Amino acid sequence: MWTFALRSLARQPGRAILGVLGVAAVGALLFDMLLLSRGLLVSFRALLDSAGFDVRVIAADVTVAARPRLDGSASAVAAIRSLPEVEDVVPLAFGGARTDGRDGAPLELFLLGAGPARRQPWIILQGRAPDPAAGAAPELIVNRNLADRLGLHDGQELILRGDCGHEPAATPPVRFRVTGRASFPFDDPRALTAATTMDELRRVCGTEDGDDADILLVASREGQGPMAAVQAIRARRPDLHAYSNEEVVARFQQVGFSYFRQISTVLSSITLFFGFLLITVLLTVSVNQRFAEIAALRALGFTRRRVILDVLAQSVILVGAGGLVSLPLGFLLARRLEAILHAMPEIPAAMRFFAFEPRALGVHALLLMVTAVLAAAYPMRLVARLPIAATLRTEVVT
Amino acid sequence: MPAGPVVAVRDLSLRIEPGEFVSICGPSGCGKSTLLHILGCVDTPTEGRLLVEGADVGTLGDAERSAIRLSRIGFVFQRFFLLPMLTAAENVELPQAEAGAPRDQRRRRTAELLDYVGLGRRAHHRPSQLSGGEAQRVAIARALANRPRLLLADEPTGELDQATGQQIVGLFERVHADGTTVVVVTHDLAIAARTPRMLAMRDGRIDEEASR
Amino acid sequence: MGPLTALLLIATSTAAAPRATPPAILVSRQLLEAEHLEVGDVVLLSADPKGGQPRPFRIAGTYEPVPDPAHLGAPALEARLHLPDLVALAADPADPASADSVQSINVTLADRKEAPAFMRELDARVPGLLLRETAAADDRDVTFVVLDRFHLAIAIVTVVASSIFLLALMVMLVDERREMVAILRLIGLRRRRIFLQVLAEGLVIALAGALFGVVLAVALEGGFNRFFQWRYDTALVFVRVTPAIASRAVAVAVPLGILASVAASWGLLRQGALSLARR
Repeated sequence: MWTFALRSLARQPGRAILGVLGVAAVGALLFDMLLLSRGLLVSFRALLDSAGFDVRVIAADVTVAARPRLDGSASAVAAIRSLPEVEDVVPLAFGGARTDGRDGAPLELFLLGAGPARRQPWIILQGRAPDPAAGAAPELIVNRNLADRLGLHDGQELILRGDCGHEPAATPPVRFRVTGRASFPFDDPRALTAATTMDELRRVCGTEDGDDADILLVASREGQGPMAAVQAIRARRPDLHAYSNEEVVARFQQVGFSYFRQISTVLSSITLFFGFLLITVLLTVSVNQRFAEIAALRALGFTRRRVILDVLAQSVILVGAGGLVSLPLGFLLARRLEAILHAMPEIPAAMRFFAFEPRALGVHALLLMVTAVLAAAYPMRLVARLPIAATLRTEVVT
Repeated sequence: MPAGPVVAVRDLSLRIEPGEFVSICGPSGCGKSTLLHILGCVDTPTEGRLLVEGADVGTLGDAERSAIRLSRIGFVFQRFFLLPMLTAAENVELPQAEAGAPRDQRRRRTAELLDYVGLGRRAHHRPSQLSGGEAQRVAIARALANRPRLLLADEPTGELDQATGQQIVGLFERVHADGTTVVVVTHDLAIAARTPRMLAMRDGRIDEEASR
Repeated sequence: MGPLTALLLIATSTAAAPRATPPAILVSRQLLEAEHLEVGDVVLLSADPKGGQPRPFRIAGTYEPVPDPAHLGAPALEARLHLPDLVALAADPADPASADSVQSINVTLADRKEAPAFMRELDARVPGLLLRETAAADDRDVTFVVLDRFHLAIAIVTVVASSIFLLALMVMLVDERREMVAILRLIGLRRRRIFLQVLAEGLVIALAGALFGVVLAVALEGGFNRFFQWRYDTALVFVRVTPAIASRAVAVAVPLGILASVAASWGLLRQGALSLARR
């Protein structure tokens, strides 16, 4: 049956090739949309999990654009750390700073301050993390961009002036000693980031007396799970908003990533419809042109089922071949689209819009096969209802 | 002429014995092709019965009628209806493959049949590379592929010149001599005259019957 | 005064108004619905996330917030206060300057063309201000420029796929007319004549198809917008078919259609009449 169907398609090689290419083009787009529909979620989740913290505590709802700071962070940290469900807690504060570039022009950078904890939200690439007990020479780690931009190496001095608030402020500069390089999961490709201790960040920002943080990162105890930690935190401190990484992802799924989900759904539907239309038209025209031949085969003894399956087999071959070709095309297209979307500001470099999951291949194949079957439905119906004698007669007369 | 159903065959009762060579002739539109289609289980009569070797075909489903056509009846068409993307040999193998014959057996039978019709050396040629007469001979070989007991031919010489047509009838005579029942529909009296039994149709009825 | 990070809705009260009538505010339709409020209700607002020092306000009306595509899906829970009321609510008692601070001042000029000159003069008079012409692109537009490029890339892929589909259709169409072309050639029509015929037919099909496509897009525009406006509870317009977009679509589709028609017919036109006629 497959050989026969292949030979039937090969009779009109131009049409068959166009059918395969058409399915390949829309199949590539379909594949990318399947990647996009979950890519951000998968990637975002991986990012959140990468530092080893599975719960986040903030002062307001996670989707509020301008988030208030968390006052009394020290007591909050102590309260959360005492919970049996919690392994570790680190408070984080964010600020800005300026330093002089190599050309003397001011350079703005993002400054992160972290409280003492066993784990930290960065990965040391070289050197070591800042030591809270550094004493007179406060320590700093920098990301690769900043190190390359300023030609920094371990042990070198870097002077920072705070730029933490919304109004200009004239806080005294602080001399730091660079102790290492680190990668920060949420850095965008152009980010200039440095991290130090919480106390040093407050000194840079001129808020030494402050006790606030932007976020608390919590690692749940092994065997307890993040939801147990979240419930415990909510019970102990109902004034705070605790979310597991799963919940953060779910909230962003509804709000932040909604556009991509919608466009993925719309484009997936359109591509499937397009593929369906293309194959249906190709097969219907082919069947219409072969009525006499099909009637002759029926007269020779081919069963109705046999000729119907031939049409289905042709559809499966066209869509299957197109689907196979669509995969490398899809990967290439995804890379191009990924590069375009990564130009958006503040998208972490490690974030992937088109994160590959094996299940996407399965869904892609399933959708294409369903399309193949549906596309063959009308031409199969034509073949099933073909009156043999009348067709033979018509062919002779015409 | 008022529109409405056309009675192609009427008041017709016909018995064909195994081993006969029958021609059915008549003017265009007399119902001879319709009769042939009924005999070949391709069409079903509006009224009446078709018995093939005693079995009432009207009670059979499509699959069973297809099985009869595949293994017990061979069909030859006016326009050959060879599959253009297959070679002559592949066209002859096609019904055998459909009947489930193993590959070696198919190939042997195909070679035998193409030799039988005088086209052993054209086995790998496609229909577009064959003349009309050669194509019709391949079609006859295809019709004989599953050793049918009945061979039906609908205007087999309609697309051919006189001389080639006579050659084709000669082939039918040979098939008949080898024991196959042959029924040929034709409007060519010269061809009909070569058959032992000739039925003349007019207006859907058998008007006259002659034997020699 | 720093940004008002949270106006906490503490409580509502439909009891008798206090002795001094609370100042009036407007709340967004979404906030009204989310908190089951009604116009005339008195609510307590606080600038403190913990709800400290709330003040009463009377809901004088509701409004539809300006949709922000950057926050699609986020419920627009917001309120509008008179500036003195907001300042009084959110000012830091320890900072005298906060009672006289705002985030931005919007200026409408008598003549918009004077905006650059006005900005230069203002910058000279009050150094340190951040001045931005609303018509000018800024960093916040980068996201939409990127999305525009993304949409264009998708559009290119769909145009490629559509062209393949179109070519397939034209190939089938031409195949069906093989005999007719053979007859025309046999009776003496020249290739050029038939080519012009093919070109004319391709133009008509392409033009009709392109116009149909534009009409279909306009017809679907309303449906798309209504659906997504309902889905995201927003007044944002998602799809708009402008004359420029329609012209661009037609300008792309028509040449592609003609090209497909000619490409599909090319083989046919190059063949001799006899070989065309041979089945």
